[in-house]
Amino acid sequence: MVVLRAKVIVTGDPAVGKSALTQAFHSDGTHFPKNYSMELYLYDSAGKEIFADIVQQHWTQPDMILVAYDMTNEQSFNACNKWFERCQAQKPNQSIPGALVAIKTDLKQRRVISTKQGREYANSKGLEYFECSPKDHENVEAPFYYLAKEFHNLYNVKIEQMKTLT
Amino acid sequence: MFDVALRSAGGTIALVTSFDEKYPPENIIDGSLDTFWPTTGMFPQEFIITFSTLMSIGNIKILCSNVKELCIEKSTKTEPVEFEPLVEKEIENIDGQMQREEIEASFMIASFCSNIIHVIIISCSKPCRMHIPVTSASHLRFLIKSAFDHFVSIHNVSVNGTAVH
Ligand SMILES: Nc1nc2c(ncn2[C@@H]2O[C@H](COP(=O)(O)OP(=O)(O)OP(=O)(O)O)[C@@H](O)[C@H]2O)c(=O)[nH]1
Ligand SMILES: [Mg+2]
Repeated sequence: MVVLRAKVIVTGDPAVGKSALTQAFHSDGTHFPKNYSMELYLYDSAGKEIFADIVQQHWTQPDMILVAYDMTNEQSFNACNKWFERCQAQKPNQSIPGALVAIKTDLKQRRVISTKQGREYANSKGLEYFECSPKDHENVEAPFYYLAKEFHNLYNVKIEQMKTLT
Repeated sequence: MFDVALRSAGGTIALVTSFDEKYPPENIIDGSLDTFWPTTGMFPQEFIITFSTLMSIGNIKILCSNVKELCIEKSTKTEPVEFEPLVEKEIENIDGQMQREEIEASFMIASFCSNIIHVIIISCSKPCRMHIPVTSASHLRFLIKSAFDHFVSIHNVSVNGTAVH
């Protein structure tokens, strides 16, 4: 048995639904195999630029990132790179695993960013792409399960490296 | 002087902040450089080594990976409380790996000078050395404040010392 802990920065433009998403995510643990458990510490960050300084004080030593945008809002999609780069700057020599999450899939008629656009940007940054609607409780668990699994894989890889150190 | 942290010399691990049953914290004090204790995510992390009795400390050697900022504190109490700072070090990140022989050579250095403690930390490739005035302790607390990776490993901690009578 092992308990893994990861600090996850949840970031993106204001009002894209970050807080709605983090609050909608409740795990009962049944999705995890029995040999490990995972604690994700979600740092739900304010998107408003005036909070930028204070927000980044909480971003030291991040393990993973979740960048969110509102799929009905092009500006929020364009801002993803800024948020990603800011978080990545906390760990200049190391790539941070993460997820790109398109939120508000319930607003189909107002959609302006396609799945293809989202996926392409995600791929270019090594992020996994997800779509969800916290409002309809659609697919809100998937990004977090992905992050948990990714962190577990990372742990296993690092353990193998530690074995070869001496 | 001998390694008083060793499990076989009565050393125990009083506290750890990470636990993976496959890599128990006792690996730190089993005398082997091959076994290790990994942290399992987030920082700070710490472990406390408790000696069988109050010890006069000769030198402290730590073999680890990915540790960046390390603080060592000591307590002379029976219980692991009231720790005082001993050393604090930020280790440089240097690429490349040390050879087994070099690691063993670094671990061989004995304390010839009776009023100084050598603290040797091997985290990246280059061992880093510090000197501190001689002191006594019944517990040592190792606080890992930050790291070069998501996880660090502590392979061995050896503490040369003799019981204070
Ligand atoms: N239609 C729809 N609205 C949503 C959804 N998720 C969130 N919202 C709405 O979007 C608005 C902003 O949501 P928040 O979760 O507060 O946004 P945020 O990203 O945390 O914003 P900041 O904390 O200001 O950066 C609220 O009015 C939510 O009700 C969704 O899936 N669908
Ligand atoms: Mg919010």
